[in-house]
Amino acid sequence: MITLRLIQQPAVPLEAECLTPDRLVELTNDQIRAAVLYHGKRQVRVDEFFQVDGELSDAIELHGDLSRVRHLGRQMSRGTVTIRGDAGMHLGAQMSGGKIEVFGNAGDWLGGEMRGGRVHIHGRAGQQVGAAYRGSLVGMRGGSIFVDGAVGIETGMRMKRGLIVAGGRASDFVGLQMKGGTILLRQGAEIRTGAWMQRGTIISLVDLQLMPTFAYSGTYNPTFANVLAGRLAKLGTELPFDVSEGGYDRYCGDRAVPGKGEVLIWKPT
Amino acid sequence: MLRITGGSVYDPANSINGEVRDLYIADGKFVDKESCDSGRVIDATGMIIFPGGVDVHTHVAGGSINFARAMTPEDHRRTQAFIRTKTRRSGLGGMAPTTFATGYLYAGMGYTTVNEAAVPVLSARHTHEELSDIPIVDKSSLVLMANNEIFLDLLEEGETERAKQVIAWYLWAAKAYGIKAVNPGGVAAWKYGDNASQLTEPVSGYKNVTPGNIVAQLAQIIDELGIPHPIHLHCNNLGAPGNVSTTLETMKHLEGRRAHFAHLQYHAYGGDDWGTMRSASVELAEYFNAHPNMTTDAGAVLFGDTVTITADGPWQHLLYKLTGRKWGNLDVENETGCGIVPYTYKPSNLVNAVQWATGLELLLLIDDPWRVFMSTDHPNGACFWRYPEILQLLMSADFRKECMACLPANIKNRITLPEIDREYTLYELATIISAGPARALGLKQKGNLGVGADADVVIYNRNVNIAEMFGHPRYVIKSGEIVIEEGDIRETPDGREYIIKPSFDPGTDDFLQPLFEDRYCMSFENYPVEMERIENPHLQDCKPQQ
Amino acid sequence: MQKSRFLPRGRKDRTMVLVDIRETKSVKAADIFLQVRPGKDFELLTILRAMIKDQPISDAEVAETGVSIEALQDLVARMKAAKFGAMFFGMGLSMTRGKHMNSAALLTLAAEMNAFTKFVAMPMRGHGNVTGADVIMRWQTGYPFGISFNRGYPRYNPGEFSTVDVLVRGDTDCVFVIGADPGATMPQPAIDHLARVPTIVLDPHVTHTSRLAKVHITTAPAGISAPGTAYRMDEIPLPLRPALKSSYPTDEEVTRRIKEAIQAKPDWMVEGPQRLETQV
Repeated sequence: MITLRLIQQPAVPLEAECLTPDRLVELTNDQIRAAVLYHGKRQVRVDEFFQVDGELSDAIELHGDLSRVRHLGRQMSRGTVTIRGDAGMHLGAQMSGGKIEVFGNAGDWLGGEMRGGRVHIHGRAGQQVGAAYRGSLVGMRGGSIFVDGAVGIETGMRMKRGLIVAGGRASDFVGLQMKGGTILLRQGAEIRTGAWMQRGTIISLVDLQLMPTFAYSGTYNPTFANVLAGRLAKLGTELPFDVSEGGYDRYCGDRAVPGKGEVLIWKPT
Repeated sequence: MLRITGGSVYDPANSINGEVRDLYIADGKFVDKESCDSGRVIDATGMIIFPGGVDVHTHVAGGSINFARAMTPEDHRRTQAFIRTKTRRSGLGGMAPTTFATGYLYAGMGYTTVNEAAVPVLSARHTHEELSDIPIVDKSSLVLMANNEIFLDLLEEGETERAKQVIAWYLWAAKAYGIKAVNPGGVAAWKYGDNASQLTEPVSGYKNVTPGNIVAQLAQIIDELGIPHPIHLHCNNLGAPGNVSTTLETMKHLEGRRAHFAHLQYHAYGGDDWGTMRSASVELAEYFNAHPNMTTDAGAVLFGDTVTITADGPWQHLLYKLTGRKWGNLDVENETGCGIVPYTYKPSNLVNAVQWATGLELLLLIDDPWRVFMSTDHPNGACFWRYPEILQLLMSADFRKECMACLPANIKNRITLPEIDREYTLYELATIISAGPARALGLKQKGNLGVGADADVVIYNRNVNIAEMFGHPRYVIKSGEIVIEEGDIRETPDGREYIIKPSFDPGTDDFLQPLFEDRYCMSFENYPVEMERIENPHLQDCKPQQ
Repeated sequence: MQKSRFLPRGRKDRTMVLVDIRETKSVKAADIFLQVRPGKDFELLTILRAMIKDQPISDAEVAETGVSIEALQDLVARMKAAKFGAMFFGMGLSMTRGKHMNSAALLTLAAEMNAFTKFVAMPMRGHGNVTGADVIMRWQTGYPFGISFNRGYPRYNPGEFSTVDVLVRGDTDCVFVIGADPGATMPQPAIDHLARVPTIVLDPHVTHTSRLAKVHITTAPAGISAPGTAYRMDEIPLPLRPALKSSYPTDEEVTRRIKEAIQAKPDWMVEGPQRLETQV
C-alpha cells in the first residue's frame, strides 16, 4: 500500500495524472517522491505536496482535501485508489480497470470516457459523470460508477455501455444523447432526462419530468430488472422488481432523434 | 554558406538521377562551387538528396479548415502535441493541424512549398493571416471563381472580355497566385439546395451558363492573362459513382488548353450506384496519357480517420446523410461555399476500398511522372503527414499486395490495382513530390537543385522502410537554413507568399463597384486585401499571351 | 431590405418568424410571433426536430411550451416550403438554462432541415471582436475558447478552462483582461477572485473590472484610433481603418511589450521532448 497525504493546498490546480496504480506499482518510494506533477505551469515533485509512505504497490490511499488535484487514477487499469477526502476533476477518466473509492465528494468528469473498472463515491459528484469529452461521439464504454449523493448535469452524456447509479438527485440532461448502458436514479432528476437518447435505459425510482418527445408505452416488470437487481444486490444497493411491490412505467424516445431509448419509472403498488 | 557533399542527388528538373554530386548554398540559393568557400559542411555520403517537396493541392489555411478545426476537438486531443519553447509556438497535429504545427509537420517530412487550393475572395484576408502563421514553408493560394455570381452573370450575357478583366481584378484583390474552379455552377446552385451535374445543362438561375462553358471560358481567360498555373479544376460530380463520364467530358471541353485536374481519384469512378461503383482509372489514364495539355494530382485515399472539407457543398450534405456524423456548412455570399464532414475510410467498406485503389492506380497508370503529382487533397483523402505511406505503396508492389489482402473479397473486377506491377523509382518519386508540381505551379525556383534555384533540399538516410525514410528525413534545408535535423525542429523561419498581379483595365473598379454595392454586404473599398497584409510577399511574373 | 435575383421584391418575398419569451420591439418587424414559455426553448426545438420527421407529438406536450400545435404545424410547413431558411440566435438561448444544449438544439434542427430545403443557422455574437478572437484561437490552437496552455500546448475543456469557471473556482493566481469587462457581467465569486489576485486590464475606458484591478493600462480604442482586423459574425474579416490618432498605445503594442518583458525572464519550462505523442 502506498499512502499519500496532502501537506499543503495547491494555490492553483495540481495535475497529478502520474498518481495511478499502473504507474506507482513500478516505483520505489524515492521515485514516487520525485515523480512530476504540474502545479499550474510549473513542474513540481510529488513530495512538494504529498508525504509519501510505501512503494511498489498498486493500492494507493490518498488523504486530505484533494478537490484541486486533477486527473487522479487517469487511465488506470488495475489496483485501487482510495481517497479519504474530496477528489478533483477527471478522477478515473479513461480508466479501464481497478477500483476507485472516495470517502468524500468528486469533481466534474468523474470516470469521463471510462472503459471498465469500478468507481464508488460516498459523497456527491460534479458534472458530466461518465460523459464524453467535448466533441467525442462516445462517453463511458464500460464499468460502473456509484455515487451515493447528488450528481451534476449531463451525467452519462453519450455513454454506450456500463452502469451509473446516482443515490442522490441528479441535475439536468441525465443520459443526454445516450447510446447504450444503464443509468439508475434513486432520487430522480431535474429536467430533460434522456434528451436526444438513441438507445440505453434510464431507471428512476421516483417520478420524473420527461421530455415532451417521449411516449408512454405500457407498464411492466422487465426481466432484466430482476437480473440487474441481482447484480446491484452484490454491490450493496437495491432495485425493486417484484410484481407484488409495483411495476415500471415505460417511456420510449427520444422521438426527435428518433431514438429507441427507454426511461423506466418505478410505480410502487 | 553550406556545402552538402557526397550524397546521391535526385534532381529531375536537371535530369540528375542519383549521381553523387556536391551542392553549394549561399544566401538561400544554390550557387557554384566557387561562390561557396566556407561554412558548414554536411557529409551526405550514402544519403539520398531530393529537392524540397512541393504540395500542389492542400487545404491548410482559411475559413473552411478553420471551421474543421472547431468541429474536431476530439481529434486534437488524441493527436501529437508540439510543445512551445521560448522561440517556437505550440501546436497540435491531427486531421486539421493548427497553423504552427502545419509548418512543423510539412517541413518534418521534407516539404518546403505548399499551395492552399481554395480561397474565397471575400475571406482571402483571413487566409493570408493564417498563411503568415504557417512557419518554414513557402506558400501560395488559389482563389475560387467558378461560382462567382458576377462572373457567371457576365458569361450569361456573353461578355467574355469583361469577364477576363473581372477575373484579373478578383485575383489581385485576393492577392492570390491562381484560379481554382470547384464544381462549376454546382456550388452556386447549392445556395438553393440544387447541384449541377450535367456539363451541358444550364446552371439553375441561368439560361446560357453551363458547367462546360464555365470551365472552357475560365481556362481561356487564364491562358490569356498568362497566369503561371493553369486552371485548377475540381470537376462536377465529385465522389459520385459513374462520374468518370463527367470527368472525361470536362477534359474534352479543355482540349488544347492547359488544365490541372485536382484530386483525380474522386472523379474516376465507374458503375451506376454505390453498389456497383468501380474504379475507372484505366479509361481515365488512357485518355489522360494521350493528352499532354493536362496535369493532375492524385487525391489519394488512405484508410483511417480524417475530416473532409470542400467547397462542394452539395456533396458534403450527401456525405453527412451517409455518415450521420457531424456536418458544417458555410455559404460565402455571392462567391462560393464550403462543407465539412469528419469521415473514416475503412478497408472493410467496399466504396472506401475502391477509392483507396483508384488513387494508387492513377498514380501508377499515368505514365508521365511530370503530369501526376502526390496529393491526398489534404485533409480529404488523408492528412498530408501521411504522404510517406503512399510513397511506400508506390515503391513496392509487394507491399501493395499485402495491403490488398485486407480488402473485401467482392472488390475483384472493381479495381485494376492487383494487375499493376509498376514500382516507382526514386527519380520518379522526386518528380511527383517536387519537380513536377513546382513546374505545374510555374515556380521555376522550386523543385530544382540547379544553380540559382532556392536552396530547399531534403537529405534522407537510406532505409529499406520507405515510409520511415520519407517520414523522417535526416536534414531538411529551407532557403539554405537547416530547419530539421535528426527529427528535431531547429529553426522556424517565416516563409514567403507567392502572388501574381495580372494586368486589368483600370476601369474595372468602376464597373464592379455598383454591382458590388448591390450584391455584397461589405463596402467595396474593404474588399481587396491590402498588400501590407501579406507577410513576405513575392510577386511572380504574369505575362499576357499575345 | 436587399432585393436579389431570387427575391426580387426584397422584404415582401421573405417571411420573418420571431420567437421570444415576451413581446419585444422586434415583433413589429416580424410576420409571425411565437411566444415561448421561459425555459422551454430546448423542449420547443426538440419538438420541432421530431415534427419535421413526422413523429407523433401530443397537443398537451406541445402546450407546455406555450405555443400551440397549430402554430407549430404552420411553422414546420413554412420552413419546409422555404427556398432558403436562416435561423439567428443570441444569448437568450445560449445563456439560459440548458445553455450550449439550447444552441445545439437549434443547430441540429437547422442541419436536419437540409433534408427538405436549404437551411442555415448563425449565432448573433456579443459586442466587440468576439468572433475574431474565436477565429484566431482556432487556427493557432485548434480550439475556439476555454483553452489552457499550462502544459506547453493547447488543451480545451469548457467548464474547466472557460473564463467564468476558472474565475469562480479561483483557479488562477493572476488575471489579464483585454477587450472585456468581466467585472460587470460575471457572478460574484468571479468578481471576488478578480479583486483577490493581481488583475491587469487593458481598455480604452475605465471599466468595472479596472476598479477591481491592480493595474489598468489605457489603450487606443480599436477601430477608432487603432488599426487591425475585426471578424464579422459570419467570420468575414474586415479591416479597421482608424479615423483618429491616439496618444495611447494599442492593445497589440502593450501586449507585445509585456510579452517581451516576460521573455527576458528565466524560463520555467523544463527541457523535454519537442513533441508529445499522447496528451493529458
